[in-house]
Amino acid sequence: MTISYGGEPVLERASIAVGRGQFVSLVGPSGSGKSSLLRAVIGLQKPLAGTVETGLDPSEIGILFQDDALLPWKTARDNVALGLTFHGMARREALAQADSWLERLGLTGFGDRFPRHLSGGQRKRVALAQVLAMTPKLLLMDEPFASLDAIVRARVVQDVAALVERERISVLLVTHDLEEAISLSDYVYLLSQGPRARIIHDYPVPIPRPRDPVRARMHPDFAALYDKLWTDLSREVDREQRPEAAA
Amino acid sequence: MNHRYTWLRQIAALAFVLLVWEAAGRFHLLNPLFVPSPSQIGAALAELFDSGRIWPHLEATFTAALGGLGIGIVVGILLGVLAALIPFIAELIEPVMTVLNAIPRVILAPLFVIWLGIGLASKVALAFILVAVLIFFTVFGGIRQVDRRLVERIITLGGTRWSLVRHVYLPSVAAWVLSNMKVAVGFAFTGACVGEFVAATRGLGYLLSFAQSTYNSALMFALIFLILVVVLAIFWIAGRLEKHLLRWN
Repeated sequence: MTISYGGEPVLERASIAVGRGQFVSLVGPSGSGKSSLLRAVIGLQKPLAGTVETGLDPSEIGILFQDDALLPWKTARDNVALGLTFHGMARREALAQADSWLERLGLTGFGDRFPRHLSGGQRKRVALAQVLAMTPKLLLMDEPFASLDAIVRARVVQDVAALVERERISVLLVTHDLEEAISLSDYVYLLSQGPRARIIHDYPVPIPRPRDPVRARMHPDFAALYDKLWTDLSREVDREQRPEAAA
Repeated sequence: MNHRYTWLRQIAALAFVLLVWEAAGRFHLLNPLFVPSPSQIGAALAELFDSGRIWPHLEATFTAALGGLGIGIVVGILLGVLAALIPFIAELIEPVMTVLNAIPRVILAPLFVIWLGIGLASKVALAFILVAVLIFFTVFGGIRQVDRRLVERIITLGGTRWSLVRHVYLPSVAAWVLSNMKVAVGFAFTGACVGEFVAATRGLGYLLSFAQSTYNSALMFALIFLILVVVLAIFWIAGRLEKHLLRWN
């Protein structure tokens, strides 16, 4: 797949495979077209060349953005029920399912709150419930946890990991955070510096499942993989910055 | 200072001003031809209601203001939505609206009287043009600023174009219109009263013009006070409505 906004391609010849129930992360410097790739997969953006083959109906793919983008004038449960009613579910049943998803994400009793009256972590959970209620087979996440503070973030990440593991949802995560990528994924793909970014390497993560993403960081293989990824990523970032230093 | 008693201090200050005003009147320090005392204004006000002659005037002003407000909101939303969705219409309407927005629209009052007569229609028209331009810009600007992320959210959840209108555009438009409701109400009463002031046979504006021509300053103060109370009451209702409908904000 090649992605362009009209001029020089941002991302070229990217090929990524995500197996059923696999968790795959995309890591790379800013401007390497990671977000564009996700947008292409869900159909918000057309690739310049190549195809997206998911073998899935668009309704089977869910996406979680960095900002939660909940409708501010709808309560938490109405927001969660929204996608279900789009696919023809009766409102009453959709609301019942919304409640059960909110419960599963630890938001019992918060269903009648408007997004403005929820904390950042709670809003993120509502957005997650909204996407997971659609029972996607593939979940795309574009730096979904970046806006959360460290502790809230760790808790949300733990819950997401447990849920997707249990429901066997395939995940494609875009992130800047190497630790997050390694601790969550089965495979990590490294993108080169854009424009004309490419996938330069993929790294299998040898940490066994089921795993807790917080404790996965203490696994003996974690540090070695982190070091390797960090070295490779630094080289990419430096490659971009060298001409500037010379000038 | 304790903020809980702000209103108490404000009322005390008002009472003090009224007291000084009344005293100045009693000691013949004010010419009642220009500045009647509060008790004289009160008497004029009481007389308006006791005789019952205020009612047809109140009714006329309310009909004109609320009529112009209603039509102005509907037309303003309609044009705003059309202009925001169809670039060709925006090209045509926006310059006209910009000009109408720039001029003091009450200068159209004499024109409306010539076109529509001295009856209700010219007052409704003036209130309407004041409100419609305001609402047009509110809606037009608002729709173009709709949060793209919300639109994408609806699309990725499988929503149709109609879902977008229903769940994103309509609530956004409603929120913008509601948050401008107080200004719109003020505009509508301005339009109605100015229209009546220019040429009419009924209405609060007409009574004001009558008071002016007969040098009846007590009546004039009474009317100004009455209009103030009426608009404040409607502000309060609009405020409550806004608070309820925009409780998510």
